[in-house]
Amino acid sequence: MKSGTKDRRRVVVTGMGAVTPIGINAETMWASMRAGACGVKPIENFPLEDLYIKIAGEIRDFDPAKHVSSRKIQYGDRYSWFAGRAAEEAWTQSGLANPYPEPYRAASIIGSGAGGFSTIENAYKDLFVHHKKATNPLTLLRIIGSSASAHVGIEYGIKGPTFATCSACSTATHAIGIGLDYIRNGVVDVAVTGASEAVLTYGSMRVWQAMRVLSPDGCFPFSKRRNGTVLGEGAGILVLEDLEHAKARGANILAEIVGYGVSSDSKDMVNPDVEGPRSAMQMALDDAGITAGEVAYLNAHGTATTLNDANETNAIKMVFGEHASKLAISSTKSMTGHLLGAGGAVEAIACIKAMADGFAPPTINLTDPDPKCDLDYVPNVGREMPIKYAMSNSFAFGGLNAVLLFGAPPA
Amino acid sequence: MDDTATKIVEILKKHMKEPRDDIGLETALADLKIESIDLAMIVFELEDTFGIEIPYNANDTDEAAAFKSVGSVVERVKQVIASTSAASAKA
Repeated sequence: MKSGTKDRRRVVVTGMGAVTPIGINAETMWASMRAGACGVKPIENFPLEDLYIKIAGEIRDFDPAKHVSSRKIQYGDRYSWFAGRAAEEAWTQSGLANPYPEPYRAASIIGSGAGGFSTIENAYKDLFVHHKKATNPLTLLRIIGSSASAHVGIEYGIKGPTFATCSACSTATHAIGIGLDYIRNGVVDVAVTGASEAVLTYGSMRVWQAMRVLSPDGCFPFSKRRNGTVLGEGAGILVLEDLEHAKARGANILAEIVGYGVSSDSKDMVNPDVEGPRSAMQMALDDAGITAGEVAYLNAHGTATTLNDANETNAIKMVFGEHASKLAISSTKSMTGHLLGAGGAVEAIACIKAMADGFAPPTINLTDPDPKCDLDYVPNVGREMPIKYAMSNSFAFGGLNAVLLFGAPPA
Repeated sequence: MDDTATKIVEILKKHMKEPRDDIGLETALADLKIESIDLAMIVFELEDTFGIEIPYNANDTDEAAAFKSVGSVVERVKQVIASTSAASAKA
């Protein structure tokens, strides 16, 4: 069944905003992806102390006073700054009025895997190391994982559903999926969705180091060289809108979200299963009512861990069959690092840009492919090609899978 | 088995669902049903017990090879202890 033939509304994207290590707006990020730029670099934003993992995808020189116009958000945690900045870009692009004139018909669903991590760290340092008498009075508001969604809701006069999703590396994709469902089912007409993450701190790096899953020297998805993921930070925001609502106001439509699939492995906290990712991808195709052969580009979860990349490759083969080898697949994490909860939104933007430009972004650092990963990962250099449908995969610790499927703007 | 090896076997046993008493240096960790998350816990406890830092990476095949059998874990720990004390002797 084709999208739109079901008894539900069609949902389009009318605004996008990104804050990433390779550009702090969607245009710059996309230009960097087209060029195969790498945002993974030696950590500079904080002292390394005794860390042995010394690289990350950092956002350098982010100044809330300069990059975020809301005074209230300037008082928030770094993760709220990123969300605020990306939401501002997306809302401005959508052309929607501020404040939104039908406040109960809009939602703000902006997740975060970890919320205000740096705020927690600094507050605890004040208490336990510096023995200060009190923490900063804004500490609690900065920490809570729903503060970015609340901030953005306040900024645009949104009085409908406002909350955060939290599902580790699938956070943004779940947020976008819920926004999609709300609009399809008539709960709201407009939803600001996505996620933000800012966990690059000494303490957080120590926590990740202890998990033993980080690479000391780079992000090499699908390569024989791959030896773990690389943390990144940033945010991605999409403004979703009911198609008829967007058309009625003459909005510039960037893409349609045609399918969404969601599942859980229900097996293990760290080892991914092939069945969960397979089922989520299949559900997204079924939801859209298209065949696997119609998908031209797939933005992989592609974390560059030994387990994920091989498992994801196997799941793609199960879903796409013979078409798997014809699919252009890339892990843009090779360029941004792993933005954790925010990754799915940034990668959704990459999919939409890829369709609009007819250009599949590359997987960089892929000179020595792993025989276990034997599909076309668009190695090192992006590729001009027509893209009718693009899929974006997000698979999280705990086995939490979410997949989005995008199509061109409806004629 | 020497002291170090005995301590290491105790740590391994703590992280097994069904601890066994027939663990020797040649025993493969896979046979002890130790999974990747158990391994992260074991490395943490080894570091804590011996006051060392093992740059173990679950994605690194060379490093993972050092965690194939009980004997290879003992070797790796002794190696790190030796290089740690050499480094502190220099300092």
